[in-house]
Amino acid sequence: MDKSRLRSFLAPIASIFFGLAVGAVFLLITGKNPIDTYFWMFYGAWGSPKFVAEMLTRSTPLILTGLALAVGFKAGVFNIGAEGQLLFGGIVSAYIGAYWHLPVFLHPVIAIIAGSLAGASLGFIPGWLKVKKGLNEVVITILMNYLAIYFTNYLVRGPLKYGYLPRTKPILDTAKLPIIVNGTRLHLGFILALIIAFVLYFIFERTVWGYSIKAVGFNPHASRYGGIDVNKVIVFSMLLSGGLAGMAGSIEILGLHHRFYGQFSPGYGFDGIMVALIGRNNPIGVVFAAILLATIRTGSGLVQLRAGVSKEIVWVIQALIILFVAVSYIYERFFRFGKINLQKGEG
Amino acid sequence: MKKVVFLFLILLITSCIFAKTPFVVMVTDTAGLGDKSFNDSVWAGIQKAVKDFGITAKVIQSMEMADYIPNLEEAVKSGADLIVAVGFLIRDSVEEIAKKYPNAKFVMIDAVVPTDNVASMVFREQEIGFITGALVALVTKTGKVGWVGGMFIPPVERFEVGYRAGIKFVNENFNKNVEVLIAYVGSFENVPKAKSLAFQQFAQGADIVFAGGGKNTLGIFEAAKEYSQKYEPKDGIRRFAIGVDQDQDWIQPGYILTSAMKRVDVAVYSAIKDLVEGKFKGGIYSLGLKGNYLSLSPMKYTKQFVPEETLKIIRKLREMVENGVIKDIPKTRDELKKFKPPKVEF
Repeated sequence: MDKSRLRSFLAPIASIFFGLAVGAVFLLITGKNPIDTYFWMFYGAWGSPKFVAEMLTRSTPLILTGLALAVGFKAGVFNIGAEGQLLFGGIVSAYIGAYWHLPVFLHPVIAIIAGSLAGASLGFIPGWLKVKKGLNEVVITILMNYLAIYFTNYLVRGPLKYGYLPRTKPILDTAKLPIIVNGTRLHLGFILALIIAFVLYFIFERTVWGYSIKAVGFNPHASRYGGIDVNKVIVFSMLLSGGLAGMAGSIEILGLHHRFYGQFSPGYGFDGIMVALIGRNNPIGVVFAAILLATIRTGSGLVQLRAGVSKEIVWVIQALIILFVAVSYIYERFFRFGKINLQKGEG
Repeated sequence: MKKVVFLFLILLITSCIFAKTPFVVMVTDTAGLGDKSFNDSVWAGIQKAVKDFGITAKVIQSMEMADYIPNLEEAVKSGADLIVAVGFLIRDSVEEIAKKYPNAKFVMIDAVVPTDNVASMVFREQEIGFITGALVALVTKTGKVGWVGGMFIPPVERFEVGYRAGIKFVNENFNKNVEVLIAYVGSFENVPKAKSLAFQQFAQGADIVFAGGGKNTLGIFEAAKEYSQKYEPKDGIRRFAIGVDQDQDWIQPGYILTSAMKRVDVAVYSAIKDLVEGKFKGGIYSLGLKGNYLSLSPMKYTKQFVPEETLKIIRKLREMVENGVIKDIPKTRDELKKFKPPKVEF
């Protein structure tokens, strides 16, 4: 037991080093110094308290979208619509933050709840269609992404446009999430994301609710036989997944951008798939996976400036690290399955 | 003795300050270098300044919107004497950092930041749009032309509206009835969608499509080439795209009639020149045809498709805009509705 725990911790670290090693070959081919590059990449994320704060800021949306996907995977549903749910949550919060007048504490709370509900309602539709009409949630969520992307784009260019650029009115000061480390951009949203990860961990490990979600994901037929209302669980987990993605957008707007831009998300919803996979659908693992991803992303500017490495090469290295981590996960799964079969054969 | 050392030190320090070559950092938006358009053009201007003035320059390409603030801040902290920011989406971040570091100097390309330490370079795109529209209306064989824009933002709108005003001008003065089809991609980086929109416009009978910005242009150029290769042998009409921002004629030689160049390279070069000469000043710089900040490409591959007569008219038109004979070219769609093209004898 302990050994496999250790392995599940060491495997990703080993694979990160593999990724870095292959990346070093790429850098050498392009005539850049790998040590210099990696130094600045990690310095940009961990080199000073300020950089760490920036890195944690950047991990916040990734934690939440990672959790959104993980919840779906646990219940056996694939919510590719997280990006759309995030945008929806973001624009609803941006609207409430800018146009409603509420007291200091209440304002962000209401805005986050509304943003999460917006995301959840977008998650509800594919869940409901899957249960009632047997439609594949993957197709519906992909299509609903377009709906959300173009609808929010329409809003930000049309009715909600403020000034001459495609962006909404800045949110009021009362709606802003407070900065938790002075002189940085790290806001309360990060703590909130951590709390939610722990709550989800507790739900999955310690409650009947969490257990029934996992059971449905593992084997819906057996769960039904065992007396679980499978339909309810699927709809609920899509609601929860959409709500978390909506919250990610909402927190990004209230904590970081302070207004909605059409392109504020570089695809956090899709990154969530990667984060959930690397974190093995474990809420705590998701937090670490998000921090890993944020680590290799935050230093990119510094790498370009100090090591003179171009953006494309930085991208290649990032992709390599993630690829190796993902491969190690697959490898390990197969490895384990092999072992189980072997034991069965012996017995 | 101590005094001598002290004086020597002062001399050393001051000479260091004066001998230090200016250091310029460019921060791109998420489109980045390699767009064969805006970012590349600015970078080319900086490279020219590197050659001419011996300055040093570096570039940071932003991966996502959340990168803008840290990238600009790192640029300031690296001791840059001038920070060049490109793209309208980065504007708010430039304003924030420029206020935070009032001693740093910035050049904002294509947007206005109302801070003393920022030189905002904005263009009167409607002027070059007007010239392009007039050329296109004179050259078209089908009597229909197109426009595929990136995003409907003010600089793009000025291009579009100027273009349509130029067509309107030709329709009035040359007794033509050229129609224009308008489409928008909704982003600057969606090459496949831009290509299919351009294809649609060619299929609807347009023979020249203006590619309004960003990486989209690459898709529109391909559409022009593929459509021509398929239908030119049948109907004998060559389909063209119009390049934008810098001379893009070489990308699909012979299928890009001309490029409506916004010389951001000239603009950034002149800002760096001011910096080197110690004359750099913040404020708004409105740049137009005058001073060659806007111009048509030399049509290296497409000269044979444009009669000398037409080129003469275009040259004359350009002079008239520069000298203010033709003025009040519309900047917005509302102004376009009210625009009455002046009667001109050619």
